[in-house]
Amino acid sequence: MNLSTSNATALIRARGLTKTFGSRTAVDAINFDVRDGEFFGFLGPNGAGKTTTMRMIAGVSPRTAGTLEILGSDPDTDGPRIRGQLGVVHQQETLDQELTVRENLLIFGRFFGIERKEIAERADQLLELFQLSDRAKDQVEPLSGGMKRRLSIARSLINAPRVLMLDEPTTGLDPQARHLLWDALQRLKRSGTTIVLTTHYMDEAEQLCDRLVVMDQAKIVAEGSPRQLIEEHASREVLELRFPEGTSRISKETLDGIGDRYERLAERVIIGCENGEAAHARALEHGLTPESWLVRRSSLEDVFLRLTGRSLDE
Amino acid sequence: MSAAQIAPRRSRGLFATIGAYLPHPTRWRHVVGYMVAVYRREWVGSLFSGFVEPLVVLAGLGIGLGVLVGDRAAEITGGVSYVTYIAPALMASQAMQFGAGEAAWPILGRIMWVRIYHAMVATPLKPTDIIVGAIAFIGGKVAFAATFFAGVLLATGIATSPLGALTMIGVSTLTGLAFAAPITAFSVTQKTDQGFAFIFRLIITPLTFFSGTYFPIENLPEWAQFISWCTPLAHGVALSRGLALGTEIPNAATHVAVLAAWTIGGTVIASILFRRRMLK
Repeated sequence: MNLSTSNATALIRARGLTKTFGSRTAVDAINFDVRDGEFFGFLGPNGAGKTTTMRMIAGVSPRTAGTLEILGSDPDTDGPRIRGQLGVVHQQETLDQELTVRENLLIFGRFFGIERKEIAERADQLLELFQLSDRAKDQVEPLSGGMKRRLSIARSLINAPRVLMLDEPTTGLDPQARHLLWDALQRLKRSGTTIVLTTHYMDEAEQLCDRLVVMDQAKIVAEGSPRQLIEEHASREVLELRFPEGTSRISKETLDGIGDRYERLAERVIIGCENGEAAHARALEHGLTPESWLVRRSSLEDVFLRLTGRSLDE
Repeated sequence: MSAAQIAPRRSRGLFATIGAYLPHPTRWRHVVGYMVAVYRREWVGSLFSGFVEPLVVLAGLGIGLGVLVGDRAAEITGGVSYVTYIAPALMASQAMQFGAGEAAWPILGRIMWVRIYHAMVATPLKPTDIIVGAIAFIGGKVAFAATFFAGVLLATGIATSPLGALTMIGVSTLTGLAFAAPITAFSVTQKTDQGFAFIFRLIITPLTFFSGTYFPIENLPEWAQFISWCTPLAHGVALSRGLALGTEIPNAATHVAVLAAWTIGGTVIASILFRRRMLK
């Protein structure tokens, strides 16, 4: 794999980073750099090794092999110092339900050894930034899923971290809450915070990430900006043909020549091509009779499909 | 990259390994601060039960059992009334119950259900800081409850010396810790709360009866006496009773040493197991 950069401004630098649990390899010798100020993503299906990688970066999972440098230090020997400069948002909620919204921030700040007065000021700013000020004195429990997630992110920023780490930040949120969260994250990025996120939503990765790596089965299979990855690994447009009765009886010869490449899924055939309308016409000429069809621009999902032969939600 | 190029992880030196398990000199106090904030709302309830519980226990067991035991009390107690005999022991026993309970559900809950410990290990806090802070808080809570108990004993004239009563608070706190620490070590390994039923039914409740609380340990067969002296409560009871009655306490230093050993040993093991669970 080509390492796109190894410049000095990398805040996180992994070489041959490996994690095994018994005989299972969760992360298999991956290399990546996260640069100062960028929005960096790990895209991949569940079980690809994204969360394990995040845990290693966060200094809560000792690596099995390889080197890992975070803010110039090794998490094995400098864990507390590194963790003091990171903000971590877990996939599962870790808020304290017995405390109020504001107390969750105040107490958490103390774990970083920050003075009470400074924490109080930051807490109020963060509640404002994440539109939670009017709920400051409320208990956490009755908050909506989106509010709880925003509170988790606000809490993770109480120590003004150099790097914010988000593990599947919008899983389980409704579309409106997702967009609200994406906006908040974009604002944060503009204010100079480096953000690392994992996601199995390609639209999220496409919306947010400056650069990302695609992970599959413990390995990194591609790296680049969303645009680069799409240009490199997918064609301009995609024609999707739907066959509810299944695609197994369609012969290879029928599919050849419709577009540049195709992937056969259980009930769909995905055809990468320059011009979707033209490809559809050719598909009909080849005698295909899909129940329905659509043409769309290529997305990261197609990149993933192309690289692994599987779709992200499979 | 081939496997040969991957740098194997350096193993840590002995000092670094020990350092990872030592608590930070001050950070564990933030964990205590967190627990105080959580329990701030329950203080009124704690105050109330702190006052009422010792009174109920003393009235029920002391007066009720005292009447039953009647004139034979002196044979057992060496002269004092039965209620005077068991009251300081009940204080130690209450500390055990309290310390054990606080180390069970509240600890497991913060791993499994509230999951706040997962957020805490992602801060500069080390797992050991969290364990030391959690156990220290339990010690504070036991001391809080013991203060009420001691006050009741003083007010009823069961304890005669204020200094003795003050020392009894210390003994109860240490007794509570001697159970809280090893039970924390158990809790951090659990995935459900089913194991706690085992701990409380087969260890805590029997200990209440066989640690010299209601009758002298010397009435037990020798092997049972030996088991009793291996556990913390017997030592807490011996110290507490001696202090309340103002009698001489043989082997006082040994009693304190056993309680301290359970506390320190339990805390060390809890730290190791908690670290292993959280940092996978």
